[in-house]
Amino acid sequence: MTEVKRIDLGHINLRGDAGDDRFADGVEAALGLTLPVDPNTLSESDHRMYWLGPDEWQVVADRKNVPVLLKKLEDALVDQHVSINDLSGGQVTLHLAGADVPELLAKACTLDLHPSVFGVGDCAQSGLAKANVLIGYIDVAPVYEIIVRRSFSEYLLRWLRQNSHFQVGTASS
Amino acid sequence: MLLISCPYCGARAETEFSYGGEAGIERPKDPHALSDAEWADYLFMRKNPRGLHTELWIHAQGCRRWFKVERDTVSYKITSSRELSLGASEKE
Repeated sequence: MTEVKRIDLGHINLRGDAGDDRFADGVEAALGLTLPVDPNTLSESDHRMYWLGPDEWQVVADRKNVPVLLKKLEDALVDQHVSINDLSGGQVTLHLAGADVPELLAKACTLDLHPSVFGVGDCAQSGLAKANVLIGYIDVAPVYEIIVRRSFSEYLLRWLRQNSHFQVGTASS
Repeated sequence: MLLISCPYCGARAETEFSYGGEAGIERPKDPHALSDAEWADYLFMRKNPRGLHTELWIHAQGCRRWFKVERDTVSYKITSSRELSLGASEKE
């Protein structure tokens, strides 16, 4: 059975020009991780950084570190055409653990989440049970991270808990 | 369900996308120089072809980018999908 937990993390939305070395270097200096430029991937160090689009990323970090990271990003990317926004108040992070997670998500998501296709370090924005979500495969354990708008979070949490309850047996992995 | 290939995210289900109508419609440089009929043509008249159609789609549940798709309106087969910026200067 899938274990569903709500995790208290902060979120920063970052937009900029991936083709500009100053931007990539600035992000690396500020966050200590490489800018994920490959579509549908994430990079990780002390924080996680998700690819959202060709010029858009999301940083997921410990909530208490967010003000420091914002300041570091602003300092590192000064005079560049970028946007840095704190979305911590508007989004909720859920962690799903267990071998059955892909099977549970497949009930209401059109993505192919089989581990042979969607591996560790992969991410995707999609719909899950009518909510818009960002899904990341963050740990081989397996642990999946789901980021959802705060207003959808209670509904999605209930949906996940209810449907994980009905799961029987183990998934193929 | 259609499988639409987003130029940024790859192939995804149709439910992740929204349709944006015919592509390649250019706003007149000087709207005041147009007659009412020409302005109405720009605003309202669309090709609605039977066969290959160039259209706009947005990956609403994904990267939220607009892009251009070539789709056959009879078979629904999508023959190409590309970034808007690459086709923006093309006139049809």
